[in-house]
Amino acid sequence: MRLISLVFVLILVVSCIKDKPKPVPLSGVLSNGVVVLCEGLFQQNNTSLSWVGNDGSISNTLFATKSGRQLGDTGNDIKRYGAKVYVVVNVSSTVEVIDANTFNPIKQISMQSGGVPKQPRSIDFYNGKAYVTCYDGYVDVIDTVSLAVIERIPVGLNPEGLTVSGSKLYVSNSGGLNTPVMDSTLSVIDLNSNTEIQKITVGLNPGRCITDDEGDVYVVARGDYAGVSSKMIRINTVSDNVVNSFDLGVSGITKMNDKFLISNYDFSSGQSSLALFDPVLDVVVNSSYIDVSGFTTLYGVGFNPYTNTLFISDAMGFTNSGYVYEYSSLGTQISSAHVGLNPSKFLFYE
Amino acid sequence: MRRFYRMAKCLYIFIVLLCFHVRGQVDSIQIIRQVNVSTFMALLKEKSYNLVIDREDIETLQPTDIGDLLRKTPGANLKSYGGLGGLKTISMRGLGANHSSMVVDGVPLNNSQTGQVNLGQLIVDNVEQLTSSIGLNSNFLIPVSAQISGSNFMIKTMENSFSSDTLTIRANFGYGSFGQTKGYIGVKFNPNKFFVSAFGSRQQAEGNYNYSIVNGCFPLNETRKNNNYLDHNYGVSGGVKLKKGTWKIGYHRKSIRQELPGAVIYYNETADEKLETDSDRLFTDFKWRANKLYARVFFNGTIEKQRYFDPTYLNVAGQIDNTYTNRNLNGGVSFMRYFRQWSMFGGVEETVSDLVVNDSLFAKPIRLHTYAMLGVRYNHPLFCLTGQASSQYVYEQDKNGGDSKERVRFNPFLSLKTRELGEGLQLELWYRNSFRVPSFNELYYTNIGNVNLLPEDAHQINMGFLWLLQGDKFNFDLKSNIFVNHVKNKIVAVPTKNLFIWSMQNVGRTNTFGGELKLEAKYKTRNHWAFVLNTNYTYQKTVDVTDPSSPTYLHQIAYIPEHTVNTDLTLMFRRTGVRISNYVVSKRYALNENILANELEGFFLMDASIFHTFRVGSSQSLKLIGNVKNALNSSYAYIRSYIMPGINYSISLSYAFN
Repeated sequence: MRLISLVFVLILVVSCIKDKPKPVPLSGVLSNGVVVLCEGLFQQNNTSLSWVGNDGSISNTLFATKSGRQLGDTGNDIKRYGAKVYVVVNVSSTVEVIDANTFNPIKQISMQSGGVPKQPRSIDFYNGKAYVTCYDGYVDVIDTVSLAVIERIPVGLNPEGLTVSGSKLYVSNSGGLNTPVMDSTLSVIDLNSNTEIQKITVGLNPGRCITDDEGDVYVVARGDYAGVSSKMIRINTVSDNVVNSFDLGVSGITKMNDKFLISNYDFSSGQSSLALFDPVLDVVVNSSYIDVSGFTTLYGVGFNPYTNTLFISDAMGFTNSGYVYEYSSLGTQISSAHVGLNPSKFLFYE
Repeated sequence: MRRFYRMAKCLYIFIVLLCFHVRGQVDSIQIIRQVNVSTFMALLKEKSYNLVIDREDIETLQPTDIGDLLRKTPGANLKSYGGLGGLKTISMRGLGANHSSMVVDGVPLNNSQTGQVNLGQLIVDNVEQLTSSIGLNSNFLIPVSAQISGSNFMIKTMENSFSSDTLTIRANFGYGSFGQTKGYIGVKFNPNKFFVSAFGSRQQAEGNYNYSIVNGCFPLNETRKNNNYLDHNYGVSGGVKLKKGTWKIGYHRKSIRQELPGAVIYYNETADEKLETDSDRLFTDFKWRANKLYARVFFNGTIEKQRYFDPTYLNVAGQIDNTYTNRNLNGGVSFMRYFRQWSMFGGVEETVSDLVVNDSLFAKPIRLHTYAMLGVRYNHPLFCLTGQASSQYVYEQDKNGGDSKERVRFNPFLSLKTRELGEGLQLELWYRNSFRVPSFNELYYTNIGNVNLLPEDAHQINMGFLWLLQGDKFNFDLKSNIFVNHVKNKIVAVPTKNLFIWSMQNVGRTNTFGGELKLEAKYKTRNHWAFVLNTNYTYQKTVDVTDPSSPTYLHQIAYIPEHTVNTDLTLMFRRTGVRISNYVVSKRYALNENILANELEGFFLMDASIFHTFRVGSSQSLKLIGNVKNALNSSYAYIRSYIMPGINYSISLSYAFN
């Protein structure tokens, strides 16, 4: 009887061990996985980066392990340009520059102007320069070699998202800190002269921007979360005019090959949805492309071009540690990972 | 069936044991029956479960504010955002801070805007006595709102009470770290029939305290910025003894100018917000006694104006400059009547309050809050049974538009307290149902407020004992409570529009199970040595029981420690003494999910003071006190990212005439 009990306990222990994530090879070069930006919460200093390997390995302290310190407060964006990764940290008002291969930190760029935090939000790149939207009404230009802010381009109120199309930069001016009188414009910046050449009225509280394969820009106007609903607007980047407007519940757009994934989390009903949109035909191909109705709070969506799979995060009500789920392009869940607080952005490694 | 049999058996054994115990008390019953009612009441009051801190304690502890004192209460959980004047609140036994009421000289302090009193802005220099009470408060003449709240804190000040001395003077001057200076003087002239008094105080601090914090592997030693503080408090009071009662009237003014250092944000040390607070309070209190009837009427009017200024906010105006004016008019009647072994008590209270904001988008709420309460007490020689039923009616309207709201609640309270069962032993069992209305901020604050909020309901059950031993040279006082609480419709902030716009919702249910143990021991020797030990331990398991599928189900609620220990040791030789205060708080969680990433380390604080009293004649004394706070230079925080000061010093001189 004792022997049977011992065998049973051993089986239990072995099975538990099997379920545990594999140890994470954080030394050397990162490959075959995804870095997840977990935003953390305001005034908690708990922004973190999680590494989720294709082999099932998970580390929720990637940046802290590599740098020996924390990223700071409320990370908002992460992107790679060349051999460097840039992490935009909003409340700490910094841009962390990291070696893309080893993930060792290179430099922390302080984003303050005259002792006032600029509150950086999002980043994009063009011709050796990084462009960072700052809530103080500017887009900062960072030289990706010297890693210094070399220019400030004035735009609208509380610029949020940005995207490059051709030699122009499109910046959404949210006006989010002037609630309820928010901004409704998209600034167009000529990247040769780094000056704003036009403002396009797109809709209340514009946020995320994205460029399709034809070079047109799509922007999400989030509305006022009450009487004015969210919508998606298409901009012809030759004429810089609004050419189409889509009245649909939308909080984020993610590019998946030549299609868009339209994600939405309705704060009032708590319902999540993920639709597939064809920007060539300008139609929603599938309004429920992936069944995310079981999500508590759909937050981030990413497409891994190396594995042709989707990564979708559940922020679990914004106050609990989140989950990242990997789906095949056919909508089958492949894996899941328990990560940090408010997982929102993904950076994929082949 | 077997379970029922076991329960019945346990009940039978309990009753048999109780009967044996009662038989053993027959002799004492006969003696007790001879004790008249008022003596009996006095005994009950004396052996209360309340925590009492008197002026002597306050002088040796040199607390910065009332919050510093109340953290010593068993079951209390202090939340402090740091710095002099910074927001400090106390929640009792897992209930939110809004469930507690604060009463100064018998008159409640009201703030319908926040629903709670900032304990960091209440001065301590004029406090003669501070009483913390949970459960039955045997002073039935206190305002009804305090009598029926989850817990209450009572402050008695020097300048607003009758005394036996014709002239009373109190003065206190201090100097401390971070540029802290303070001065207080209070004078009371109290001939036989009346008194008049006046006081004034000023406190200033640069607040640039050093703190240490560990960011990953890197210890950082920083200095708090934008933390200047200046306050002025002053007031006049008067009272007259009438044939069958007393009448008092007073006016207090408070003026505070403070900078707000905000949270410690990694890599971003900027802070430039400011807060100005001006408060005027006029109060009057009439007590009347006729035979066995005691009655009391009070009125209280408060205007509190707060100006919040953020000069670098990134909106169109480039700043936020909002002024909030909260007006409260409050009055009540209480009575108590003895009938041999019975007594009846009750009262009504009415509060009218509104909020005016210089922001056209902000609501203009007005609230009428009516309280009514009726209770009876039966004094049996063996026990004392108290029952109380209260009702509250709240009417609210936004003068900017919107539907008016009406809320009605009935709340019971029941207490059974035994007379001494053995030598100095007393048992108590009580149940209280209470609720708190949402504050104006929770209901109407732009973007955050939710006009559909329901009141937060609380149920409390408490079982406790008190054991008092007294000898010629020693006093020994042991108190213990076990409590179970349930809160429903808990008001919490959740993101409802986007990640940055959080709004108040009734989404929570919590259960609390806990226990308190409090020990007071005093020992005096013949050769002028005295030893005093005050210690208490609180265990609180307050868990989320809202949704079984939630990751926080059965997790400890954020910022409530499971273990809290207070230990004060005083050693006196003649008029010289040393006092060491220890305060231990176990780990807490910054969010409701109990995971490593949310852990906030527990901490141990040691404060030490040395004091000597110089007597000048029979009526004057001068006390010199040296104080070291956080003597071990612990790095700690009550709230994540709000780091508290390291080691700091103060020296003060207190003068008392009578």
